[in-house]
Amino acid sequence: MDFELTDEQQLIREAVREFAEAEVTPIAAEIDRDHRFPCELLPKLAEMNLMGMPYPEKAGGAGADYVSYIIAVEELSRACASTGVILSAHTSLATWPVFKFGTEAQQDRYLHDMASGRRLGAFALTEPAAGTDAGAGTATATLHADGYALNGSKMFITNAPFAEVYIVFAKTDPERGTRGMSAFIVEKDAPGFSVGEAEHKLGIRGSSTPPVYFSDCRVPREALLGGEGDGFKIAMATLDGGRIGIAAQALGIAQAALDASVAYAKERVQFGKPIATLQAIQWMIADMATEIDAARLLVYRAASCVDNGRPYSTEGAMAKLFASETATRVAGKAIQIHGGYGYTESYPVERNYRDAKITEIYEGTSEVQRMVIARSALR
Amino acid sequence: MRIVVAYKWTCDPEEATVRADGTVDWSRAKPGLSAYDPVAIEVARQLAAETGAELIGVTVGDKGVGAPLACKAALGRGLDRVVIVEDGSLADAGRSELAAVLAEVIRHIGDVDLVVTGDSSVDVAAKMVPTVLAGELGWPAVAEVTSITGQAGALRVERAIPGGVQLLEISGPAVLAASADAAAPRVPGMKDLLAAGKKPVELLELAALKVPQRNAVMTVTGQAVPERKSRKGQLIDTADPAKAAAELVSALRQAGTL
Repeated sequence: MDFELTDEQQLIREAVREFAEAEVTPIAAEIDRDHRFPCELLPKLAEMNLMGMPYPEKAGGAGADYVSYIIAVEELSRACASTGVILSAHTSLATWPVFKFGTEAQQDRYLHDMASGRRLGAFALTEPAAGTDAGAGTATATLHADGYALNGSKMFITNAPFAEVYIVFAKTDPERGTRGMSAFIVEKDAPGFSVGEAEHKLGIRGSSTPPVYFSDCRVPREALLGGEGDGFKIAMATLDGGRIGIAAQALGIAQAALDASVAYAKERVQFGKPIATLQAIQWMIADMATEIDAARLLVYRAASCVDNGRPYSTEGAMAKLFASETATRVAGKAIQIHGGYGYTESYPVERNYRDAKITEIYEGTSEVQRMVIARSALR
Repeated sequence: MRIVVAYKWTCDPEEATVRADGTVDWSRAKPGLSAYDPVAIEVARQLAAETGAELIGVTVGDKGVGAPLACKAALGRGLDRVVIVEDGSLADAGRSELAAVLAEVIRHIGDVDLVVTGDSSVDVAAKMVPTVLAGELGWPAVAEVTSITGQAGALRVERAIPGGVQLLEISGPAVLAASADAAAPRVPGMKDLLAAGKKPVELLELAALKVPQRNAVMTVTGQAVPERKSRKGQLIDTADPAKAAAELVSALRQAGTL
């Protein structure tokens, strides 16, 4: 059994870390404080070929393996969790369905632009009354002579309004429940499409997540992704991969909290010596490091399953469940180690703590991950 | 035009520790490109992009300098290919020996119009190799280079001098050491790193290079480390500055410092 990263994976980690420290870390606290989407990072991420890492070069991507992509999300999230999810939602949730289910014409129109980072993507599944129960969505798509008319609303849409391409789920046959759900590719300037006010969130404040509205929004027949009724299947398959990206985001947040804690524990002097010499602190650091290492093994294992063409639904769920809950625990301990300073904006661990919580919720709550895992274990 | 970048694959001193006897323990230090060499590669890469020159990386050293990871790390920065001498006998080689080997590699490559190096190596920082290499080749050497333009046989070089900048024109091949801030090293993109493993790597045998025998051999036979004095840990209360200053002066006089 080989636990070593390949040369390319090691170099990608170093390069993304170097990029993140130069371009992302300096603005991370500011975009969090001001709830500002970091538009200026998008061309830089694209120039680094980070916006479509796991897609082939001819499709506009970098041609990297999935483990490398996950490492990149981890490293970006270590610097800024908002940037990590902007990239992950674009790559795993918006671009992947086009890559996997798109027709040749749809791929010609969207894939290269999305994988190369020229056009940002978003994924619109959640509705005000349909979160974990995604199949209960009430948005509809009605077929007309010249295409479909979409009606309804979606909320918590990562990357809106900056995204140019939206993967939207709506019922073409509401009577059939989840089997009546279909997926559509909607462009930002489609008539009848609009974006609401941004949410004010506890964490990942640099990531924009407003609601989007469809008011007799007209899209051509060619906007249908897959066949009519394939939408729920496409959504679930997409989320299986997306969860690994969120697991990597959680891993990066946890690592950032540990790094800050180790540095602080070595510098902070109490009782005449650095607090790193106190057993109470050492035990917390030891638990944090161990949990992060275990999370990393789960996350990389799930990504490796993708690379090797093996099923990854359960593995991805385990990775997300453990990494996200680890991130919250570790960030909490990081604040404890920092004491009163950790509760202030002077140190990054309070941001880590706020950012970590969402990883237990979006792209499938911890409870959903446990359902997926239990279904597999009890099979 | 053919440009060579002489780079070093070595350990970062920040990750090394100093043992009680004063010797340095490098065992836990991770190897990588010497800190200023990405600057040299970037300066050369920009010139190569303007002139269409071939960009060749060269390094010589101990076992490990030719490892696939080391080659890909250098090639990912934009080099077209690398030529490497990896030999255990070079582990403790001095600057003049390394420069002599580098000179032979450059002769082996042939038709080289320019050699660019970093400002200094991160581990030794002797700043000697560019000058000694130029001496070996019979070429001019210029340090603190901030800009290189022009083409083969007609290079225009700017270098930093105390209080200003000097402009030079060089009509033949030269060895130029880029200043530490000559260019902002570009972080390699994902495609650069993934393509690096497909670029040519030429490993040369040291014995086959016929490096001239050195007339004088220098060997480190011992070293002394200054005796570490223990601190007195004397604290002075600064509530009254005048009194504290007087107390400090008195303490320094007592210690023989003043």
